Amino acid sequence: MEDNVKKAVYVKPKRKITPFGVFNTILFIFISFLILIPIWKVLVDSLDAAAGYGMRLWPQKFTFGAYEMILTRVDLYRPFLISLLVTVVGTLVGLILSTLGAYVLIQWDMPGRNLFSWMLLFTMLFNGGMIPTYVVMMDLHLTDTLWSVILPLGINVYNLVLMRNFFEGIPASLYESAKLDGCSPMGIFFRIVLPLSKAALAAIGLMFAVSYWNDYTNFKLYITNNKLFNFQMKLRSMVMESDLPMDDGSLSPNTLQNAAIIVAVIPFMILYPFCQDYFVKGVNVGAVKE
Amino acid sequence: MLCKTCNAEIPKKATRCPECGRAVVKPQKYLYPIAVTGAVISFVGGLFPAIQNSDAMKKFNPAYGFMNYEQPMVWYLFMLLLVASMLLCAFKFEKFSIITTVTAAVVYGITYNNICMRHGAPGMQNGLAGPIIITGTIVGVIGAFININKFIADRKKEKGEIEYQYTGNKTIWQRIYIYRGFYLMFLPVLIFVLIFNYLPMAGLRFAFTDYYSGKEPVYVGIKHFVDMFGLSTLSKLSHKNFLNAFTNTLSLSIIKLFLNTFMAVIISLLLNEMVVLRFKKTVQTVIYLPHFMSWVVVASIFKLILSASDSGMLNQMLMSMELIDKPIEFLTSENLWRGVYYVVNIWKDTGWGTILFLATLSGISPELYEAAQIDGANRFNRLRYITLPALANTIITVFILNLAKVMNLFESVFVMYNPSVYEVSDVLQTYIYRQSFSGGTANYGYTTAVGLFKSLVSCALVLACNRASKKIRGRGIV
Repeated sequence: MEDNVKKAVYVKPKRKITPFGVFNTILFIFISFLILIPIWKVLVDSLDAAAGYGMRLWPQKFTFGAYEMILTRVDLYRPFLISLLVTVVGTLVGLILSTLGAYVLIQWDMPGRNLFSWMLLFTMLFNGGMIPTYVVMMDLHLTDTLWSVILPLGINVYNLVLMRNFFEGIPASLYESAKLDGCSPMGIFFRIVLPLSKAALAAIGLMFAVSYWNDYTNFKLYITNNKLFNFQMKLRSMVMESDLPMDDGSLSPNTLQNAAIIVAVIPFMILYPFCQDYFVKGVNVGAVKE
Repeated sequence: MLCKTCNAEIPKKATRCPECGRAVVKPQKYLYPIAVTGAVISFVGGLFPAIQNSDAMKKFNPAYGFMNYEQPMVWYLFMLLLVASMLLCAFKFEKFSIITTVTAAVVYGITYNNICMRHGAPGMQNGLAGPIIITGTIVGVIGAFININKFIADRKKEKGEIEYQYTGNKTIWQRIYIYRGFYLMFLPVLIFVLIFNYLPMAGLRFAFTDYYSGKEPVYVGIKHFVDMFGLSTLSKLSHKNFLNAFTNTLSLSIIKLFLNTFMAVIISLLLNEMVVLRFKKTVQTVIYLPHFMSWVVVASIFKLILSASDSGMLNQMLMSMELIDKPIEFLTSENLWRGVYYVVNIWKDTGWGTILFLATLSGISPELYEAAQIDGANRFNRLRYITLPALANTIITVFILNLAKVMNLFESVFVMYNPSVYEVSDVLQTYIYRQSFSGGTANYGYTTAVGLFKSLVSCALVLACNRASKKIRGRGIV
């Protein structure tokens, strides 16, 4: 990163170097280090068979053993696959519900549209809380099935309203002309609304995916069968309760814990630099527009 | 009919005055039939017995319909309210009928609760009254709601606030037919919202019961609230724990909110001064990064780094610099836990919090700065008189948006706390969780009561923030 800065400064020699600018640059390099060092430390320890000493910032005994273990042991890769499954299915459910709901909410002339809108907004105002929701899940016999973690997160009123804001940005004349050409509501939805809001679908889909991948609360509440745990649950029990698989002793327990942390973040760390703009867009639209 | 502004005669079917173009408000024709039907159905339902096949019932006078249970006065009240609803509709005050219908619904809800909970003895069956009254009140409330909506819309039209929308000469049924496909599309969303948002609200009735897992709930009135607020002499412990959790929730989340917002503002101001674009982008990418880690991951990372053993990076560093002699227990010390919690929160979310501020800052016209520079304003003055006023609105927005969420604190605390720091870290949600799921004989009734209290406070906060938001920036948050 330091290289980047120097290059940029040298390429444009016209720019004046002020003391404030230098101070600012150093400050932000420092802040970036504050954020990156914990992550770096975890990465290093996950590759170090003898991890255990705090001050080491480079692997002493380099090994991929911990990752191999996660890839080969069923009690370690099953949670990962479950996380993946829940994320994919959940994101689909979430996107379907938000687009359908948002499309109905922009039909201003539809009788009952205001009632629906208020029904959705009221849930942002007031909710039943943890225990009544748990009792409902019990009564529906959803606990200890993956549906109990997929379905409740699927309806997210905030994302739905966000989607509605995106849809409202589509010019009304497009709907009108499609209607005149004899397009049905469904046809308008699939041929005009969805193709025009690919960016919105990406942004909101990513938000859903992050919330499903990072979900811990719902698993903790509704899932007791440890064969259905997702990776967050597994990671939690590995780090907090030192629930580590037996091995031949070539790896320190620390190595495995650190490797699990890396595995838990790797999908989004890879995806994130490419999708940063979509994430940022989602936040801005949510707060700036009605 | 005469126009209200220019007194010109208006043809019968016109929607606008031919002289001055003012929208014509037709004599109010509301859908009071729906509201009346609802009230009538409820009234009829009130005549049926609520409980059947009960020996206990024989002791009471069966003449009181659904209130054939110790509360004849409430039954009278219920029936009177429904009659009032019908009369209000009949005399064209239908917009007020929602008040009486809703009150009747509340009265019924409370009594139904009593009946079910207190006398859920074997051999008793719910009578016909329940389903009929519930249908009736739902229909009545919906009808009255539509009336109110129409009334408000008409008032706005009268004031000229909204334009008369051209919907042709179609009646409401024709419009419903046109939009029939959309109702089908909304159905999945409706089902999800009803099951996962509204069904739990019905479960709030457990707050007035003793409800042990696997057993039937038993009605106990407001006992749990008395316990919570320390009004009973019996359970001082639950009062103390509850109060502790409540104050912790407020202090933890509000201090966190202040710190995070403050840091985010500072960072975005400094980042905005950054002239090298590529460097700015890189820094942004880095500081947004922790936001995508789950709280479990963040807690795990910091547990390893703050650990007091040899593997704890921070302790080792401090010891090698000879600042401390023996490792500090960061996460299990009551004095340090809160500090650690705030720092971790800042680490995770400050970067993400800068997005909105940076967007606002990039929207400030550079001409303002140039003009100020020519007028001789130094860097501080430019900050004071241009940047901060432009940013103030966004700061307030972010603050209000987050203030509405302060009661929802759960996962971040849940993954970071441990038994030795309950005193300083326990928040309402974690308290509810522990009371309900830590094994033994958990009373779901009590924890639901705590949850109800939390929901109510949170609702009040959202409404207050909404109002503040409307005043300050002209639009609400919900």
